Amino acid sequence: MQASVPTATRIKMNSSQTTSRLVKKSPSVCTDLPLSSSDVRDKLRLMKELLGSCYGPTARLKQVHNNIGGSVVTTSTSSVLLQAITSSRPVIGLIKSSVLNHVSRFGDCGLFAAVLCLSLVEEAARRGVGNSAAIRAYDRLLALCTGYLQREDCGCRVELDFCSSRSLIALARTVVSSKPTCVLAEPESAHIGRLAVRAFLLTVPCDAPDPVRLGRTVTVPVEGRPVLESAVFPGLLLDAPEHLCGLAGVRGPVRAVLFSASLAGDLGELGDGRIEVHAGVDTDAQILDRLLELGRQALEDGVKLFVCQKVIHPVLQHYLRCGGLIVIERVGVSLMEPLIQLTGAQPVATLHAAIPSAAYGEVHDVSIRHFGSKTMLHLHPAGETAVCSMVLCHRNETMLNELKLVCQKAEHVLRLTLREPWALLGGGCTETLLAAYVRHKVRTASVLFSITFTSASPHNDRASTLVSQSKNDAPEATSALGCSQTEYLLAAEAFCRSLESVAACLEHDGGASVIDLTHAHHWTLPSDVTEQHLEGGTAAALCGCGALESCQKKKWSYLNSECAEFSPAPLSTASPLRQPAVLDSFSAKVNALRVAVETANLVLDVRYVIQDVN
Amino acid sequence: MNGRQHVGLQKVSALAGTLRSSVGPVKNYKFILDEASGESVLVCSCFRIIENLEPRCAVGQLVHETVRAHHKGYRTGSGCLLFIAGAWSRAALACLQRGISVKHIIAAMSEGIDICRNVCTKSSVSLKDLAGMGKRTAAPPRLGLQRSEKPITGASRESAKVHEKCLNARGQRKVRLSRHFCETDDDVSQLPDVAVIAESLSHGCESAMKLAAEAAQMLLKTNKRRTGDPSFDVSKVTTCALPGLPEECACVVDGCVVLLSDERAAVAHVLKHQPLKVALVTGDLSQTYRHLGFKGLPAARVRERLDSSACSEADEWMEKVLKLLLDLEVKLILTTGLASQKVIQHCCQNNVLVVEQVSSSVLGIIAGSTGAVPVGYATQLTEPCVGSGVTLEIWRDLSGCERTPLTAVNISTGGTGGPVTAVITSHIRGKLQVLEDQFWACAHRLHHALKDGALLPGAGATEALCVRQLQKQAECRGVEDKGKTGSAAELYRGVVLQLMAEGLIEYAAAVMVNAGRFSAAEARNFVSENLRDFHSDEIDAGKCLQVVLESGREDGVFSAVKPDEAPTVKIYDNLSVKQEAWTRALDLVFLVLQTDAEIITGTGPETESNLMHL
Repeated sequence: MQASVPTATRIKMNSSQTTSRLVKKSPSVCTDLPLSSSDVRDKLRLMKELLGSCYGPTARLKQVHNNIGGSVVTTSTSSVLLQAITSSRPVIGLIKSSVLNHVSRFGDCGLFAAVLCLSLVEEAARRGVGNSAAIRAYDRLLALCTGYLQREDCGCRVELDFCSSRSLIALARTVVSSKPTCVLAEPESAHIGRLAVRAFLLTVPCDAPDPVRLGRTVTVPVEGRPVLESAVFPGLLLDAPEHLCGLAGVRGPVRAVLFSASLAGDLGELGDGRIEVHAGVDTDAQILDRLLELGRQALEDGVKLFVCQKVIHPVLQHYLRCGGLIVIERVGVSLMEPLIQLTGAQPVATLHAAIPSAAYGEVHDVSIRHFGSKTMLHLHPAGETAVCSMVLCHRNETMLNELKLVCQKAEHVLRLTLREPWALLGGGCTETLLAAYVRHKVRTASVLFSITFTSASPHNDRASTLVSQSKNDAPEATSALGCSQTEYLLAAEAFCRSLESVAACLEHDGGASVIDLTHAHHWTLPSDVTEQHLEGGTAAALCGCGALESCQKKKWSYLNSECAEFSPAPLSTASPLRQPAVLDSFSAKVNALRVAVETANLVLDVRYVIQDVN
Repeated sequence: MNGRQHVGLQKVSALAGTLRSSVGPVKNYKFILDEASGESVLVCSCFRIIENLEPRCAVGQLVHETVRAHHKGYRTGSGCLLFIAGAWSRAALACLQRGISVKHIIAAMSEGIDICRNVCTKSSVSLKDLAGMGKRTAAPPRLGLQRSEKPITGASRESAKVHEKCLNARGQRKVRLSRHFCETDDDVSQLPDVAVIAESLSHGCESAMKLAAEAAQMLLKTNKRRTGDPSFDVSKVTTCALPGLPEECACVVDGCVVLLSDERAAVAHVLKHQPLKVALVTGDLSQTYRHLGFKGLPAARVRERLDSSACSEADEWMEKVLKLLLDLEVKLILTTGLASQKVIQHCCQNNVLVVEQVSSSVLGIIAGSTGAVPVGYATQLTEPCVGSGVTLEIWRDLSGCERTPLTAVNISTGGTGGPVTAVITSHIRGKLQVLEDQFWACAHRLHHALKDGALLPGAGATEALCVRQLQKQAECRGVEDKGKTGSAAELYRGVVLQLMAEGLIEYAAAVMVNAGRFSAAEARNFVSENLRDFHSDEIDAGKCLQVVLESGREDGVFSAVKPDEAPTVKIYDNLSVKQEAWTRALDLVFLVLQTDAEIITGTGPETESNLMHL
């Protein structure tokens, strides 16, 4: 429904005398109820398919490129994909930006948020739930979910045990193996998972005063080496300068100086000011003299490591090298912070004053390390500094880039555990379990609800006490929300289906997703396994998160089919019970759930879209 | 995207198909014509073809990126990489068509590449063994007899066993075998002559390989004398392309050959045959040159600068530099940058030779062997920076050959590990690049052979062994599984391995077809037949060697690759290069196989019609 027709406002003046053309500004276009447009719905479905196919460890990848010959990025990472998406439809932009915002804060579960959000919008429309009813119902169901996730007896939450690295490694490994662009074999992903945890532990200071500041992990990518050569080192690795053949004469505690000012010999930071130069004065020579003066001071003060964020004048470099110093220039702004943390040096920001003695820092030792074709200078920390370097190796650039992203994500997720020391069951089990829980809550309540309304009999009293005893949801909800019970049940079904559809998105090879009817965990059946296998209990050996083993007694139901409502049994009743091998970040997932529902509500709430078409 | 007709894989296969005629030792030249500019390039190697084709589609760019990364590290084997990538793409396609899921294809193919890599490692011949073989084959021409025999008769098996024993027992026997071995206990002397290795690795580029071997020997001589290190450092080799001379003039020169114009050639004539002092400058030789990262004072903001100063400043600078050079008695300046005409003139007048655009690696080598220290600015030169002991020789006067008179001058550091130049000549200018590429390919093959310390049986023998092993694995597991209801992965494994083996057969056949003796069908038959003959052999290090040696002699099933080849020359391949090329090829296939969509960003001409817009 378009409120105005833009073509009518475009005026072209074309006469034989003049070739000039006047185009008047067109008025903004106002679209009523954007979700009712089939084009918008098609686009939302396309986006859901696109992102859903990127979800999980067996996902399909996407090649992101421009059609004028730019570089090709192969990925399934939400942050890269969403950034590449531009749409003419503001609704899509809205979803994109809110998911990107979530990813930048929590690092993980971006695809989960996006797919769930799109699914919630789609399911509400499919079931014909009115937008306002859906919004209210979703809000309430979200509160139900987050409340459940915070509860002590929550079935999909696992407490992280910091005394052992096992669950931390499981958490890191889940993140690492969730991106198939990395093409990691089993031992490789295990290795990277362990490295991520090791790097994380190195960045947690042991005896730091409050407030605790976490250290830094600096990633050093090395292309063309096998993944298993990746390693973590305490301290920093800097690109060694070409001329550094050996470290003759550099031993023991090494005094270091850091310059954040350019030592290129120019007056770079002049601003808009004007300078007056007398005739015959050579400014360049004078600045160079000043640089050499600084160099002389550093030399006299016993500095052995001279690092500059920017360029160092070749004459000064030469002078310092002759004095036996290790000179490193152009380390870049991103390395300055870890360098400061490591050495304890204050970066010198000017060359017009002597170096204050407080500015000097120290490293315990320096050594040279080789990684493939790279030669790196390893700065060993003097004390406990919480700075470490992670050397990541992979066979080619595409895989290495994705591995880098994945490791950053793992670091982020591990850090989040310090605040909320829990993890959620991965592999779709949290989603199915939540869906089963919500379904159970809503349905039991609604059954009781109908009893209270239909029976004007002696049972009445009993029923009403039952209602008040059970934490009933539907009747209370309908009265508070002002929507009919049918609408509320439909919306709840849409909500549960959406959660389950995210779990089902994990399977890309034509297999079926099933749920067991005792613990409500998620299981995947390969496409060629028949139902007999399923009933025989031989087909899917482990559930998505790896905590449960299949057995003969289990009852199953396909995810997209109608299934009986049941209350998921707590994990502790299962036998044999294993340690869940696939874990998701608690903080990231809870927030992603929130973002997904709130964004979906926002999208459902959009009444008009006003677009400037100029 | 239709899963069973993966467009990406088809593209890889098509791209690889264009290079079918460029694998193996016998290559055809290709002209690549740019229709827009009308320019054309003469290309021969796969890398150059891909580079000049500049594929624009996402898959094409991924292919280009893969080949470029491989070429950067290895300089050889790009053809093998691409062909195998194409062949295995077809294998993956065939798998998809049979309904095998991506997950299973990847798992099975990963196993396949592990099998192939293992076969490579097991069947590799160490250089020491090769040296022994060379000694023995020279004495008894026993193996020659087998050439007339039918494939593997009892007698040949017998003798093969004897042969095997020799190989296995060599460790103990060599002392008795030859007195020569007793006398030299130096490890290096156990390696075969570089020329022998070179011959077996030439792969059809005999003349280029001759040059490379010469260069290697030249460097090895000085290397062995100094460190006993038998490696061939390719970074100490440089090339000089001289158009206008016949190809037979190509040779290797100890030192660095540069081309000089007339004026400077005169200076060279004066300076020849005497030890010279040398200065190395990394920047341009001009007054206005400033190092990278230097931002000069913006002229508009500086007042009171004398107008005449610009001219006099340059003169002053020139005077200063000249005085410095003369004081330091520097007769030769090498710079990686350019020199202004004025500097060249002034230097020539004072009999100082300026050589521009020297590669930084050559500069580094000369610095190492003369004790010179490279500086950024000429004005920076001091006594300790100046190196000595360089001599100039007029290598060849090319005045007659070219329009502009040129003289080739050799700058040598007196055989102390200085650079070695391969002079590459051709009457045809367009062919120089091809010849240079061939030289580098050969040089790198030698480098890797010495680095790996082992070689692979070449001419398709390694491929045959891999095919054999893949097929065996495919069969044996298939039989094993028939009893129980194996999971899908197990069932498909055999199919995938079999298809991978087909890919390798295709490669071997293509090489034979290119050699010109076989039609495509004949070649395939021949390879398959020959494979059947290997049938019941166990693959272990000793036996496979035997198989290979036999196959090499069966009137050259594989040695027939080169039509007019002397039968005594065995063909070998590089171990690490082949393994790496296969791994990279498979990685490429995996990335493309897992990709199901492209996301095109930005605005550009829309060429395809089947695009979906978000």
